[in-house]
Amino acid sequence: MEIFRITRNAWGQETLEGMSWDLLPVAFGVGVAFIVLHLVWRALRKRRRSPPAS
Amino acid sequence: VNADATGSLITRHAPIDRVFHWVTAVAVLLLTGSAFLPILGLKFSWVPLHWITGVVLTLAVAFHTVRSTFFRRLRCMLIWPRHLREFMQGRKAAKYTLPQKLMHAVLGFSVLVVTVTGVIMLAKVDTPLWKRDPYLLEQSTWGIVYVLHGASALLILTLSLLHIYFSLLPEKRAYLRAMISGQMTREEAAEFHDPQRWSGQRKDDPHENNR
Repeated sequence: MEIFRITRNAWGQETLEGMSWDLLPVAFGVGVAFIVLHLVWRALRKRRRSPPAS
Repeated sequence: VNADATGSLITRHAPIDRVFHWVTAVAVLLLTGSAFLPILGLKFSWVPLHWITGVVLTLAVAFHTVRSTFFRRLRCMLIWPRHLREFMQGRKAAKYTLPQKLMHAVLGFSVLVVTVTGVIMLAKVDTPLWKRDPYLLEQSTWGIVYVLHGASALLILTLSLLHIYFSLLPEKRAYLRAMISGQMTREEAAEFHDPQRWSGQRKDDPHENNR
């Protein structure tokens, strides 16, 4: 996976073009992963706090 | 919110702040959509939508920066080591909790970077207002501008997901309602905020504690 988009011209000179768009699913995935982990943590905390059924 | 049923209401956000928030929210959604959807294969004429919305976001950010710096208590958004200590001790916050301040700091910084670089990148767009000048910067400098713009846009995408998620959680729903109506009940505020440090009445809040 590339971090940057880099092009090379006819003389072999490299030009920085920006961030690689390979990172787009990564940025989305990090957000979704955080949300899933937070939901799990929230559910576990809720279960620990709820009084045991008698 | 029914004040009689749920207790007395306090003001959390002034109308102008709510307008700023929702203008920014719509602008960020349009900008991320017009930037990333073409990359995912949805082809449309995204440049006009992107630069016009970018100008709107820039004006909104400039307005908010001036207003919050010179006419509001900027320091109530600053983060100090004691805020982390208080958070770890479970002490209730003033107007903003530590996670809210952190989200504001990181998202605000990202929006500032994307806005400043976006304004520079306007030099590459032909509009009715100006002619493009792609030679404004050297090619290597353009590369740095593009990297900063892209990196901050990716960070904004991640943080926007988290921001929307947290606003929809049932226990945080009062904040979403306050961003729509401007108000929350004292009981809702007291769950996360110390009434001694944030009363909802700006003139009544202790100057030193409201941070």
